[in-house]
Amino acid sequence: MAATLTNPLRVGLRQERVIPPQCLIVFGASGDLTHRKLIPALFELFLQRRLSSEFAVLGCARRPWSDEIFRQTMAERLQPAIAAHPQSWEQFSQGLFYEPVDLQQPEHLVRLAQRLEQVDRQRATRGERTFYLSVSPAFYGSGARALAGAGLLADRQRSRLVIEKPFGTDYASAQQLNRVVRSCGQENQIFRIDHYLGKETVQNIMVLRFANSIFEPLWNRNHISSVQITAAETVGVEQRASYYEQSGALKDMVQNHLTQMLALTAMEPPGRFEPESIRNEKAKVLQAAHLASPEQPWTCCVRGQYGSGGTAERPMASYRHEPGVDPHSTTETYVAVKLFIDNWRWQGVPFYLRTGKHLAKRLSEVTLTFRDAPVRLFDAAAGGVSANQFVIRIQPNEGATFRFEVKAPGSGMRSRPISMNFSYDDSFGEPSDEGYVRLLADAMLGDPTLFTRSDEVEAAWRLYTPILEGLKQSPDKFPAYPYEAGTWGPAESDELLARDGLLWRRP
Amino acid sequence: MVPQFTLQAPLKLPPQAVINHLEQLWRHPEEGYNGSATFTLVVWEPAWLEQHLARLGLLQDAVMGMQRPCLVDAARRAIGAYGLPSATAPLSHTLAQVLASQSGGNGVYDDLRGQAIESSISELQPHRMITLAPTINGEQPLDALVAAYCSLPEENSPGGSVCGDVLVLRGGAASIAEELDLLPRLIPSQLPCWVLWEGALGEHTDIFERLVAPPRRLIVDTALGETEPSLRILAQRIASGQAVSDLNWYRLGGWRESLAMAFDAQDRRAALGHVAQVDIDVEGDQLCQGLLLAAWIASRLQWSLRTGHRQQDSSVYRFQRPDGITVDLRLVSVPVGFPKPHAGSVLGLRLLCKPPGNRELCVVLCGEASGCMRLEGGDISSRDLVEEIVPLIEGSLEVQETRALAGGHDTTNPLLATTAQLADQMLATATAAASKA
Repeated sequence: MAATLTNPLRVGLRQERVIPPQCLIVFGASGDLTHRKLIPALFELFLQRRLSSEFAVLGCARRPWSDEIFRQTMAERLQPAIAAHPQSWEQFSQGLFYEPVDLQQPEHLVRLAQRLEQVDRQRATRGERTFYLSVSPAFYGSGARALAGAGLLADRQRSRLVIEKPFGTDYASAQQLNRVVRSCGQENQIFRIDHYLGKETVQNIMVLRFANSIFEPLWNRNHISSVQITAAETVGVEQRASYYEQSGALKDMVQNHLTQMLALTAMEPPGRFEPESIRNEKAKVLQAAHLASPEQPWTCCVRGQYGSGGTAERPMASYRHEPGVDPHSTTETYVAVKLFIDNWRWQGVPFYLRTGKHLAKRLSEVTLTFRDAPVRLFDAAAGGVSANQFVIRIQPNEGATFRFEVKAPGSGMRSRPISMNFSYDDSFGEPSDEGYVRLLADAMLGDPTLFTRSDEVEAAWRLYTPILEGLKQSPDKFPAYPYEAGTWGPAESDELLARDGLLWRRP
Repeated sequence: MVPQFTLQAPLKLPPQAVINHLEQLWRHPEEGYNGSATFTLVVWEPAWLEQHLARLGLLQDAVMGMQRPCLVDAARRAIGAYGLPSATAPLSHTLAQVLASQSGGNGVYDDLRGQAIESSISELQPHRMITLAPTINGEQPLDALVAAYCSLPEENSPGGSVCGDVLVLRGGAASIAEELDLLPRLIPSQLPCWVLWEGALGEHTDIFERLVAPPRRLIVDTALGETEPSLRILAQRIASGQAVSDLNWYRLGGWRESLAMAFDAQDRRAALGHVAQVDIDVEGDQLCQGLLLAAWIASRLQWSLRTGHRQQDSSVYRFQRPDGITVDLRLVSVPVGFPKPHAGSVLGLRLLCKPPGNRELCVVLCGEASGCMRLEGGDISSRDLVEEIVPLIEGSLEVQETRALAGGHDTTNPLLATTAQLADQMLATATAAASKA
């Protein structure tokens, strides 16, 4: 106990919401997401004793696996994680089952329904079911239809459907998919995952804003001059070229993750902390948002594509030289957009969103820059007074920083900026759960607060429709400017802010 | 939470006719009525205090076996009326014992035990709820009351209704014991079964032993009985490998969270390795909750129990830290003018850390209904002080029961398991020391 790095009193206190008995049915169980995210998240919930003993996972995919092969495959792929808890894994894996299912084959659905009855009896899972579509997005609609057709979504209270992103590829396809999904079940049965919302720090935006009286009076156009939302990655496209070539940064990151952060940052306080109140406010603010120039979207959107870069020791190939990428590809790996929100709170305040691959640092954050003091009484030690900023760090080094001016030591009256810092690591005795742990638990608990509702998804797609249509109709107005891998993106992105007399934050 | 009554008037049957009746009831699934495949809940619901209050005319409502505000109010009035010390907890066994010795009242009251289901429990759709309702008249013959219920099907829902049934066995404890062989035939083996023991641990041990046979899962409340048998039985059942939940342990949630929170900050975590003294104040002389809190701290910090001594209103336990330094833990019984409903609630906690080379750190936690003054003594102003008010845990007894049922486990929470063993060991050590003296 000489060096108490963790807080031993904190162990086991995270048992507030125990997931009731149920069966989680994962479609696409032989795929990556299942062993990389879903089963590890479930095992973590099991270790935290948040899964009841009456719990089962039924993996479904086309491969003709048995229960035993599924268990073995998961055990092999999760080896480092389960090595520390072999007994727990033994117990947990008894609840793993597998059924070969092709969702397009009606007779497979009949067999699936029978197997679920059997699992219900064997594990006493009480007929509570969460269906997780971890399949190609092209099959979301037909998969939902197949489940509804087999009567598996008929029980509105005890069956739920989880759908991974991307939800549609544009406004029209999202509308169409929503129509299909809503014809299969009630909105409260549908859980559209955006894994960014599973992050503790993203949820903390709401707590910071609405649990403290000091922030909300300042959180408006009277005090805030601009907002920047950044999600920067240091990795390139890696093995996702075939998907990424179709999506690009705008669809992969901005339409969902960054827009969700925008909604949480800009929404009005909900009347109550309950799912529909929160989702109403998020939908309202997204409906009020628009590109800075919807008629000329190329003036408020900068696209970029990484070229080669890095160092002699760690060279980085250009996007067009990545495996699986078209050598003439114009897909953007970087995008920055400028938005406005037409409501009383935010009228006239620019919101800048940016994301990119192979950037200088891996980080996600929201930065609120406050207006200058009305009168400058003091000279700044460093030449110019810097604006107050409030930075919410989503990852890494999760926390928040408030930057403001203080008197620099010395006989004169000069000011200099300092930072007041809050760090999750320093303040809390245990690490936060991975996003999927939280989201899976919430879906199984039937709590939709952190899932996107149909109108939110549609509003988010509608927001970027001028860019998506412009890209189709006049692609030359939206060039993908090259930038050196490992930098902060193309110079044209800096110009987007420079026109407003601003700079991107370079953390 | 609002109790919900069974929709149909329960049918009174001879106990031996119950099984046949229930089998008939669920024989026609083709009509769309299925017995829910959830769990069975067996409740031992003596409600001695409630029955005596009703018998003596101090409680005007029917006996329901639920912890309702009118019951607590009636108990507080009875404490005054029978000249008990004002520090007596309203739901303590002490009051029930005093009332049992009182004659008077007309002895007539409605007994609806087992027929009113807490809505939070009925939402879980138990397959079967069996209530064993012993009457204060020990000679009363056994009645069996049976009712079925179905949740109302949702509009446009194509599924059949999920149904359950309610069975009440009411009579003298001896007659209940005689018919206890019925139970295994009433509990479907393929579904989990919980036994909720709402009486004091240590009473009717023969019935208890027969009811709680594994793999049934057990829910108890160590606040309801005497300290020694409650902790001993809790520890024994856990050691036997049975899944046990203690509602008194749930009530400690706020204290555990608040204390953990005080040491979440990284610059304070190291101080946990240098705790030198702990003081815990509890209401009255029921020590279960205080001992559980003490044992939780000691086990989490890997202290070894060395000695225990009981004095008039307090007990002192000496532990050894992993670095060999001794820690004194004092558990003090404090009388209060307006006690909480359950006996032995924790009132306050003081934890003193003496990290070498650093300023001493003192953490004081107090219940929101009680002041911190006693624990603020002893020159704490010279130390770093963390002082917090611990909010009362929200939710009724039934809500806590629902938590235990909804998140069912077939093993005991390891934290409770370790804590209960150490708490029992602490008590045994102090008792042994007292008997030697």
